[in-house]
Amino acid sequence: MALGIKLARVAIIITIFALWEALSRSGIVNPRLLPAASDTLAMLGQLLQRASVRNDLAVTASEVLTAFALAVPFGALVGFLIAENRYFAEVVKPLLFFAFSIPKSIFLPMFILVFGVGFAQKVGFGFFSTIFIVIMSTTTAVEQVKVEYLTVARSYGATSAQTALRVYLPSMLPVLLEALRISMIFNLTGVILAEMYASRDGIGHQIASWGENFQMKQLLAGVVMIATIAIAFNEGIRWVETRCSHWRT
Amino acid sequence: MGGNAMQPLANITPLKSVPRAGAIEVRSVGQVFKTSTQDVVALSEVSLEVKPGRFVVIVGPSGCGKSTLLMMMAGLRQQTSGTVTINGAPILKPDPDRVGVVFQEASLFPWLTAEENVEFPLALRGVAKSERRAKAQDALRLVGLDGFGKRHPHELSGGMKQRVSIARGLVQDPPVLLMDEPFAALDEQTRMTMGDELLRIWAATGKTVVFVTHSLTEAVYLADEVVVMSPRPGRMVDHLQVPLARPRTYEMLSGDAFGRLRDRIWRHIKKSA
Repeated sequence: MALGIKLARVAIIITIFALWEALSRSGIVNPRLLPAASDTLAMLGQLLQRASVRNDLAVTASEVLTAFALAVPFGALVGFLIAENRYFAEVVKPLLFFAFSIPKSIFLPMFILVFGVGFAQKVGFGFFSTIFIVIMSTTTAVEQVKVEYLTVARSYGATSAQTALRVYLPSMLPVLLEALRISMIFNLTGVILAEMYASRDGIGHQIASWGENFQMKQLLAGVVMIATIAIAFNEGIRWVETRCSHWRT
Repeated sequence: MGGNAMQPLANITPLKSVPRAGAIEVRSVGQVFKTSTQDVVALSEVSLEVKPGRFVVIVGPSGCGKSTLLMMMAGLRQQTSGTVTINGAPILKPDPDRVGVVFQEASLFPWLTAEENVEFPLALRGVAKSERRAKAQDALRLVGLDGFGKRHPHELSGGMKQRVSIARGLVQDPPVLLMDEPFAALDEQTRMTMGDELLRIWAATGKTVVFVTHSLTEAVYLADEVVVMSPRPGRMVDHLQVPLARPRTYEMLSGDAFGRLRDRIWRHIKKSA
């Protein structure tokens, strides 16, 4: 990629932080509402030293990863089975779109009633927020595997397991990675929302309580922290994606 | 490495002891597709005998069932009636020991390198890595792609990709090579070159080749025998011998004998159109 484009991007990010700093320092925006960028970043450094914040991060991470580890294989399997059976696919696909279009947050109170407040509620809601996008992406991924590839495998005597592992999986990989990336966004949103809504720990809970207590510096530091983690994950997968983009159709 | 491009498949040992060239027998084969409103006869009463080591081209307009017939020989499709046998035994499902298939363009796996693509049939049967690699390299050398093994398909030209496909078809040393319009997507010049390359490979390996195309020139240029088919329903309308000398040369294309053969095929096709 051209160096100029990269520089332009960095310049935009720096400008945002500079503007943020200037607005706060000059008093154009009330510094109590918008603490300066430098103060926020300093606060972020302090927060990361705190055992309680680290504990919250660990709690959230375990919830997010558990929900992800459950939703992705389960959703991929369901998506694969749907796409493999044409009749079933015709029946179920519109229903999936219905389910996908409903805002998941309206079900949050039900998750609290069923699971209580705790680990299971967050994982359950994270799973629920993620599963539909995983199923739908996998279905799409299976459908775009070229028939030619399957015919080649068949003509050389591949078993079903060999076809799944050696043809379907690599052929679907670019789409699956994209699905993984997008489903992580849904998953993270789900878990953090559940934490903000009703929780005793977790970084989402922390952010909500900083907001309620008008601790703007901590609140913004939390925002920067979560944003950075999410972007890092996203970019990591995107990097792998670009490496296999040449077999994308 | 660095061997000359003409080296035959001598050091590729077959996995089972089968003859290098196979005999194909197609006996009154028919294919009927059932749709909701009617039965469509795709192939009707096709019979054909291919002797070992022959180069047979099936030619015809689209919809004449030539690819369907080839897919039956490959065991990729089941006929409604009749039998297909190769070396005396019926073909009921794909049998890589007896048949290698070369498909139209874009049948290589883009996530594998050229040599991994060629190794694919061997990998399916659990052949050890080192043996696989050695055989793939022999096959790539045979098709003139020595040194290109590490490239991915998107780094190869259309002609090179089809060379890899041919190498993949030959890597298990099957007695029969079936080719389904392998050069259809190539430009005219590459197509001519690939035709010559294929004839060289055929001469070096002695395989029985059945080649499907809709190009009359390609058919006459390559074949020992040309089978002409016509559509609705798909059936054989002619089976002619090509008495042109080998090796075939570009000059033959403008000769009288060549022209007469091509005209004869063209008349059949025009009639059915």
